[in-house]
Amino acid sequence: MTANEITSRNLINIVKYKFVWLCVTAILLLPGTLGLIYGAVKNHSPLKVGIDYTGGTILQYGVQEDIANQELATLRTELAKAGIDNPNIQIIHANAENQKTNVNLKNIISIRTKFISEETNTENKITQVIAKAHPNSELMSVTSVGPTLGKELFKKSSMALIVAILGMVIYLTIRFKFTYALAAILGLCHDTLFVCGVFALLGIFCGVEVDSLFITAILTLIGFSINDTIVTFDRIRENLRYYSKKMSFGEIVNASVNQTLTRSINTSFSTLITLLALYFFGGVTTRDFVLAMIIGVIVGTWSSIFFCTVLVSIWEDKDSKKLAKAKAL
Amino acid sequence: MKNKIIMFWAIVLIAIASIFVICTKPTKLGLDLAGGSRLVLEAQTTKAIPQITDDVMNTLQFSIENRVNKLGVSETVVQRVGENRLMVEIPGETDLQKAKTYIGETAQLEFKKPGTDANGNRIWLDADLTGRDLTKSQLTTDSSGQWVVSLEFNSEGSKKFAELTKALVGQEMAIFFNGDLQSAPRVNEAIYGGHAQITGGGDSGFSMEEAQEMVNLLNAGALPVPAKIVEENTVGATLGSDSIAKSKFAGIIGLGFVMLFMIFMYRAPGVIADIALILYSLMLFALFKAIPVTLTLAGIAGFILSIGMAVDANILIFERMKEELRAGRNLFTAINSGFDRAWTSILDSNMTTIIACLILYYFGSSVVKGFALTLAMGVIISMFSAITITKNFMHLIFGTGELKYPALFGLKKSEIGKAYEATETKRENARFGILD
Repeated sequence: MTANEITSRNLINIVKYKFVWLCVTAILLLPGTLGLIYGAVKNHSPLKVGIDYTGGTILQYGVQEDIANQELATLRTELAKAGIDNPNIQIIHANAENQKTNVNLKNIISIRTKFISEETNTENKITQVIAKAHPNSELMSVTSVGPTLGKELFKKSSMALIVAILGMVIYLTIRFKFTYALAAILGLCHDTLFVCGVFALLGIFCGVEVDSLFITAILTLIGFSINDTIVTFDRIRENLRYYSKKMSFGEIVNASVNQTLTRSINTSFSTLITLLALYFFGGVTTRDFVLAMIIGVIVGTWSSIFFCTVLVSIWEDKDSKKLAKAKAL
Repeated sequence: MKNKIIMFWAIVLIAIASIFVICTKPTKLGLDLAGGSRLVLEAQTTKAIPQITDDVMNTLQFSIENRVNKLGVSETVVQRVGENRLMVEIPGETDLQKAKTYIGETAQLEFKKPGTDANGNRIWLDADLTGRDLTKSQLTTDSSGQWVVSLEFNSEGSKKFAELTKALVGQEMAIFFNGDLQSAPRVNEAIYGGHAQITGGGDSGFSMEEAQEMVNLLNAGALPVPAKIVEENTVGATLGSDSIAKSKFAGIIGLGFVMLFMIFMYRAPGVIADIALILYSLMLFALFKAIPVTLTLAGIAGFILSIGMAVDANILIFERMKEELRAGRNLFTAINSGFDRAWTSILDSNMTTIIACLILYYFGSSVVKGFALTLAMGVIISMFSAITITKNFMHLIFGTGELKYPALFGLKKSEIGKAYEATETKRENARFGILD
């Protein structure tokens, strides 16, 4: 058998166009990164963060009627009259009539204010204002986070993430090689940056905020993306065992990516099916979370095929060239 | 073959046990699904206790637990978080306002003596006698029929009370409850024996509810330090049941499409993988109920991701098997080597996930913890289901036969024997059952 046979089914040439792929990756990252920078400069926070991180109170009222847009303005002035500064009001469409749920829920009015401490009567005041406009409304959820707690949560989550990444680097270095581990982690950074970038843009243009579920979405996509990358790396490792004498490193990378291509796409596709079902039929409260995962799964597949392997092929090829030179001397 | 049949019955047995557990045990739902409140209290330092030590936190936790239990709601949780915080979870729809006042009330009973400040104004001075010196309090009525709270001091409290009243004969002594002046009776004589009464101020005195609540709070134990609510999270039962109903619906649709996709892509093995997937969901769900794991929205996300990974393992194996079949191997060898070669990928990718989950579970906040736990459990079970169950069924159904109907595996006859061929070492030959 010849080495050509395993390259015969190649659809994508990773190594030949490696700089093209890197450029495409960079271009794709650009808008989101600009969004993050814009947010950091303008609002001192790259992402529009929710009360989980800034502190504040969100009250959500379930309403059974349709809500006209001009009503928002009325509500705002009513709330201001009741002494609530600068409330942020949002209407979330629950679309309950499409669902097979027994809950007759059409819209959710979400009101965000500064942190309401227990001493004041602010919560009742707001409920009274809403009840005046919508007698059937129901206070569905109250989320309140103290100002200091938010910062701590952010610090803690980031800490957990960094330690988790370190753990993965160590495991991958033991099972593969440090360069592979580094490439895999850079892939994760790419995915995280991309998803954060998209949400920064969504924050700027649609007012989408990230909450503590967002961190979970990032964690999930990291778990997914590392899986994808490792499967490809595993194939490179296996092919190296059999063909390293017959083929160059670049050819092996190419063959491995193409051999695992069907699997990568099929896996992502089957996960996407579940996520799309959750997005269209799942609850409103998790919609942003699912959106983050959908974007994450797509970029995760992209990065493990076009980014991580390209990095490995660049670094490892240099290593093997150096080795060849050293041998020649 | 005999081992495989034993294994098959073991799998059947596990499936039956799982269904039994699912039918008999209740699902433990998190607050975001079932509805309920989560409060985070932060211990505040006072002049008397300038530093929050472990001892202070333990006493605080104990008294908060006492109070929460008095709410009469089952499965409440009081947990220490970090250095100076307590997390209180009250499931189900309850009167949160009441719960909050109940928990947040410091229940600080203080006796004070009269004095004057620098400007000569009358003020109340600390008398070093507080609710901590009590053994119990009771609701009674006094001679005129008004509700009063009777107090019984411990030995040290009795001594202090006697000394205080002795020093204050002819003067007023004030009783403060949570910073509010309740009454300021005139002390006629020194009181020995360690009993006292609090009567309400004004003409009408306490209402019965008022007095009863005071008694409850005093008996639940005074908080050693005041506790402030720094985080509050209430989900109404409506939103919770809405989330569950929709997640269920979406989950079933998603799973259904994934199963169709598997059959479409992989044909006969796809059907087997689908059966393994159903068994996997049953086992994992049964395990969630048996432990029990509290299911939250983030936990459901972990569960869905683990379904993705369980499918992934099968996709890896089947893709590999197709390659082996294309290379012209017989079915038995193709199945074995497909599983064997996919194993390192599955192991490495799942181990990385498990490591990440362990770390996240250890360091993360409660949302992240729920996610990490369900994902890790899912990944471990999926390794069993995707490998043991699928492999067992494949061998039992296809046996050692030759590949007679390539279409069963989604292959064309013309493809067979024309594609890539792997080279095996002698050891691998033996393991896969390849005969040259």
